[in-house]
Amino acid sequence: MPLRWSRITPQIALAPAVGVTLVAFLGAIGWTILMSFTRSRRLPEYEIDWDNPFRQFNRLFNDAGWQISLQNLIVLALGSALAIVVGFILAAMIERERRGEDVFRTVFLYPLAVSLIVTGVAWRWILNPQFGIESLLRGLGWESASFNWLSDPATAMYAIIIASIWQSAGFYMALMLAGLKGINTEIWSAARIDGVRLWRVYIEIIIPMMKFTFLTCAILLSLGVIKAFDIVLAMTNGGPGQSTWVPAYYTINAMSAKGNLGLASAAAVLMLLITLAVFLPLVALTSWQQRQARKGHAT
Amino acid sequence: MTDTNVMYPRKPKRITGRSIAVLVFLSMAAMFFCVPLYVLIVTSFKEMDQIREGAMFSLPTKWTLEAWHFAWFEACSGLNCSGLRAGFWNSVVILVPSLTASIALSMVTGYALALWDVKWAGPFLFVLFLCAFVPFQIIMYPLIRLTVTMGIYGSTTAIAFVHTVLAMPILTLIFRNFYKDIPPELIKAAIMDSGSFWRIFVEIILPMSGNILIVVLILQITSIWNDYLIGVTFGGLGTKPMTVHLANMVTVSTGTVSYNVNMAAALLTAIPPLVIYFVLGKFFVQGIAAGAIKG
Repeated sequence: MPLRWSRITPQIALAPAVGVTLVAFLGAIGWTILMSFTRSRRLPEYEIDWDNPFRQFNRLFNDAGWQISLQNLIVLALGSALAIVVGFILAAMIERERRGEDVFRTVFLYPLAVSLIVTGVAWRWILNPQFGIESLLRGLGWESASFNWLSDPATAMYAIIIASIWQSAGFYMALMLAGLKGINTEIWSAARIDGVRLWRVYIEIIIPMMKFTFLTCAILLSLGVIKAFDIVLAMTNGGPGQSTWVPAYYTINAMSAKGNLGLASAAAVLMLLITLAVFLPLVALTSWQQRQARKGHAT
Repeated sequence: MTDTNVMYPRKPKRITGRSIAVLVFLSMAAMFFCVPLYVLIVTSFKEMDQIREGAMFSLPTKWTLEAWHFAWFEACSGLNCSGLRAGFWNSVVILVPSLTASIALSMVTGYALALWDVKWAGPFLFVLFLCAFVPFQIIMYPLIRLTVTMGIYGSTTAIAFVHTVLAMPILTLIFRNFYKDIPPELIKAAIMDSGSFWRIFVEIILPMSGNILIVVLILQITSIWNDYLIGVTFGGLGTKPMTVHLANMVTVSTGTVSYNVNMAAALLTAIPPLVIYFVLGKFFVQGIAAGAIKG
């Protein structure tokens, strides 16, 4: 029930938040979009380059670094999607078994509490060719063991994927666990009576019922992948060469290392567009769910 | 049909073969999840001589705190060799005002949007929802210019300011979702009592906010403490947070790399959020779920 007793005070109380939104978000986004159409280099130029307004975007798409970044974005998204699969398997097992639920949940979720810089230190140490897992396995007699992934452009991305799966699988497990607990227990009794095999219950009943949980996880994962910066910096710092660049890394690099504001702004605008492409389904999904919930209340 | 397993399929009374298989699998997965933390810990207590022998999983033959001592007091981050403690104190100095400002701002905003008659509340909430997902890169340079204009760029104040700004949309949505479920009768009664906006906030809303406050506190403490990008972008010489010091220590190292020092430094950085996680785990789960979904 909205109150009408005082109209002025609430609006005054909202002023700081409105100010922040207008200046630091909307204004800043508009400013960056403007920059992406100018010839700005190290310092901003406010005149749109009417002769060739898409100059920065052309340069961006002709830049091998940006192409690698986009490819890596897809590789990282597909690879990290394993975290959802792992999260679901762990959640399903924990939910069925019940014993030790708290312990397992605590263990699977702790990587999320740790800085990605720390995650990078730990995994780089494990993958260290001299003292890490490689020398350990060779010492045990597996002479051809090769885990020197970080120094090979072909495999460095996989190292980042493994570290990010380790970091985020627990998060998806927690979301999946919440979803699984919302499922009516009668389904299990019914399936058991009909003699349906357990894995078929999951494939044919549980997973379809949890499609919104999966969709939410997928959208959150995509948003996380677009933002991925710390993990790349901590694992490889973009290297070897440019082999592990991602859009977030490219944008920061264009701004701080290259000092090219126009190019960085164009890259940031494309990051925003990719985010919107992932984000709009989330808006649609949320409103659809709200309508469903309201329908559910009505009937 | 009357078998209890059918009626209560989720609570097996006896340990079955399947249960054992599941528990073994889960335990192995748990061990895999613990490996990085385990190697960090054992390596940080070893001497370099033992580390050079390989065998990363073995326990230290001689437990020593030397690496921890060195990481805290003497390790070099860039040209500054006063250890990680400088970064630790910077992080604390960043954390306290960021927490206070971001929570105060979003709490009042969420309260006003949830319970008071503001005509443009709907569109504003939608804009906040969009802002919560905007990539940092698109507002980074304008924020740098803004902090330069304000004369705070390069200070811990700038870092705290940016944390406050970036957290505002998501935290406002979390608080607003919490407050909108407050029974209207309660607020109506408060109005009858000629309660003003601020009196209702202080006397009714604040005392009710205990739970959500803990959730938000944990969410904010871990995300601010673990932040790297904002710290490195807006911090200057001597004001950068602990994560930035750690990253500099482990990447820019001259001469032989002291792995045990690196591991000790990583652990020192990880300890504050880990302690919060292990003590307040339940709220942590709520916090990340709220932070991820409600936004």
